[in-house]
Amino acid sequence: MSKWWHRWFRTPKELRAMGVVGINMRNARFLLPNNPRKLYQRVDNKLCTKALAEERGLEVPQTYLVLSSAHDVSIMEKKLQEHESFVMKPARGSGGKGVLVIDHRDGDHYVKPSGSRLSSAELRHHAENILAGLFSLGGNRDHALVEYRVTPAKVLTDISFQGAPDIRIVMLHGYPVMAMLRAATKESDGRANLHQGALGIGIDLATGLTVRAVHHGRIVTHHPDLKSPLVGVQMPQWDKILEIAVTCHEMTELGYLGVDLMIDETKGPLMIEVNARPGLAIQMANGVGLHNRLQPVVDRKKTHPNESSADRIAFSQKFLAAKLPQKI
Amino acid sequence: MSSKTRLILAVMVLCLTGIGIAIYKNRKLGVPLWVGEQSTSWLVEAKVSFLSAEEGPVTVKLSLPTIAEDPNVGQEAGSLGFGNFLDSTQSGLKSVWSANQISLDTHSLYYRVRIPERYKTGGSGEQVKGPAPVAQSPGFSGSTEKAAKDLIDRSRQVSSDADTFFTHLFLQMSQDSTSQETVLLRRHYEREEKVSDENILYTMGIDLLQMAGIPARLAHGVKLDPAAGPQEPLKLIEYSDGATWTVKNPLQPNVSLRSENIFVWNRGGSSLLEVFGGENSKVVFTVIKDTISLERMDNLRSAPFFAATILELPVSERAVFRYVVLIPLGAFVVVILRNIVGIPTLGTFMPVLLALAFLEMKPAAGIPMFAVIVAVGLYFRFLLSSMNLLVVPRVAACVVIVTLLMVVMSLISWKLGIRGVSQITLFPMIIIAWTIERMSLIWEEEGKRNAIMQVAGSMLVAVVAYAFMKIPQIQYWAQYFPELLLVLLAAILLIGRYTGYRISELHRFRNFSES
Repeated sequence: MSKWWHRWFRTPKELRAMGVVGINMRNARFLLPNNPRKLYQRVDNKLCTKALAEERGLEVPQTYLVLSSAHDVSIMEKKLQEHESFVMKPARGSGGKGVLVIDHRDGDHYVKPSGSRLSSAELRHHAENILAGLFSLGGNRDHALVEYRVTPAKVLTDISFQGAPDIRIVMLHGYPVMAMLRAATKESDGRANLHQGALGIGIDLATGLTVRAVHHGRIVTHHPDLKSPLVGVQMPQWDKILEIAVTCHEMTELGYLGVDLMIDETKGPLMIEVNARPGLAIQMANGVGLHNRLQPVVDRKKTHPNESSADRIAFSQKFLAAKLPQKI
Repeated sequence: MSSKTRLILAVMVLCLTGIGIAIYKNRKLGVPLWVGEQSTSWLVEAKVSFLSAEEGPVTVKLSLPTIAEDPNVGQEAGSLGFGNFLDSTQSGLKSVWSANQISLDTHSLYYRVRIPERYKTGGSGEQVKGPAPVAQSPGFSGSTEKAAKDLIDRSRQVSSDADTFFTHLFLQMSQDSTSQETVLLRRHYEREEKVSDENILYTMGIDLLQMAGIPARLAHGVKLDPAAGPQEPLKLIEYSDGATWTVKNPLQPNVSLRSENIFVWNRGGSSLLEVFGGENSKVVFTVIKDTISLERMDNLRSAPFFAATILELPVSERAVFRYVVLIPLGAFVVVILRNIVGIPTLGTFMPVLLALAFLEMKPAAGIPMFAVIVAVGLYFRFLLSSMNLLVVPRVAACVVIVTLLMVVMSLISWKLGIRGVSQITLFPMIIIAWTIERMSLIWEEEGKRNAIMQVAGSMLVAVVAYAFMKIPQIQYWAQYFPELLLVLLAAILLIGRYTGYRISELHRFRNFSES
């Protein structure tokens, strides 16, 4: 039922009825009680997250180099000679800040996916900026990470303009509660931030099928630039993706977290990073209030503490599927 | 005990304590709860400080205003280790402190007096007591005498009595400061009499008045302006037209002293402060406005510790608390606007500091100045960014740039004839530098729209906080019922557990639909 005021706002009552979670509720009810401060460093430093993931045998993009000093930067290019493409990112960056993707080389130059070229001096300059802390939280000195560049699976490149789409899964107590795919558009310039114009595509936890897509908060059915259909796309190896997400919960011990993954054409799903403060836009992409998914998990945790990871996934797939069953 | 019951318990204890003390003050001590129900009075504190010359006897004499003779006026003298009494001498009332053996140190003595607002404190006419005063001519000679006569003659031509003569004489001395006679006389005082530059106007003025047959002498006043902070005594000149004595400020010779602006501390020609056995003595005045009546105030000050709170402090310390007690109110506004309304700001409590600066300089002047500094600072920050500086040097460079900007802005606006721009220094400089730094990062990472939105948000929060802190009732409560801050604390704790939507989220999720 549409009301005149829906053009400008929704009443709190309406939002509550739909189970929409606001920042205050996320922080006070899910984030603060479940994420002890001391665990944050496990996810805020990507080197640390990667080390934990490798301990658990999770697939992550192979690390080519870790740069921590000016000397490392000066010998960086020699060590990178064998790699045609790579990604350089700050270890403590957030929200995709400072991530540089090199698609291929052209003689002495490096070419980004957008086609713009970088000289080797410019590449070194970017590395120095990362080390100086330009992109890290609080501006402290940082390390730069050079790693394998994911070649996204064909199904994903079909629905993303240039940038590699990533999958975000939000989890509570180790139960996957909601998933979305973030795909770049021309407007978002290869970035996957929804408020910069990227697409948010909701994914059904049970099947891995995309169910709905939003662009700037409005429902769309086709990619605005590529015109490809966005709904009903099957994510490959969905079960493995859920397993990776659940393992991320176990290794970080964070109660409330978001796991970002990419699907490589040859290597399959790779864990990219874990976020201890996942945003709320995922609700918009799915058209489901997070509370409708979080509350069943809170209840389940009370009745079934210490459930195994397989059982947790089964619970989520059965009860937190795109169309929520009437009775739990 | 769950965290929720603990919270509710804490909130209840805080509210009960805060409101309880407030009610006690209201009922038992009779302090009115509402700002309208009070009478205003000025509390003036004189702080005498001196360095004891040697370990010997010391006597300090401070001239007091005539109001101190009134037994109903609240007054007191603070003096640790000194004997103190009021001495009624021929030239007026004096507070005398004395000690036989004091340590080699800087000593401070306090004298406070409470003046009802309607009390006539200005320099209006006072009957001449005793024999009529006789003007004594100063010993001028030769060219200086000629110059002085010329000055006096010129003033006399355009004046009709002592009042108008006073006005014209001082107008001439200040406005035609480059005229031959003034320059000559000034040089005479500088060289011959060794009068310091700031005192020349007074010494010379009194001499010229005397020479013209008008008895004159020095008086001292206090500016009744709480924002002025600790102030030096204001020098005034008292002159007689034969029947009455009148006090005027030679810096504003055409304005009669107004009792609501200036309180005449001592008149009658006796020196303001005399210290025997000490050196480097000086007296500094602090003024605050009390909006509750005298006897209530006395009740409060003699009340138990928990009720008296900051009112027990010396006046100069209380003046500091005038703003300090307002800071929690600003923080409260920030909490509401961020967690309930959802306005994005740069730095959580930066708006509070901005609001405090606005309290002194008015937002209408503050906002444009802030905008200019941030805009220009941002421009320089982008020039810096190509140099790859580390964070701390980068912010330090910003501090230097902001400082220079303040200097330049003050200079330019001074030249343009805009006054009051030097108030720009009230802005917390380090905070501005950080604002510029963070804004430039957001600018690069999230686009200029976000950066400008956040600065505008901070500004809005600062203005709202300013408006809130400016409400007289709020200021009154903060000053006389500081225990109500406990209630504020309870409210902040409650908001800390608020899990409902922010108002901005109602807009953000407007397109939300279940499909």
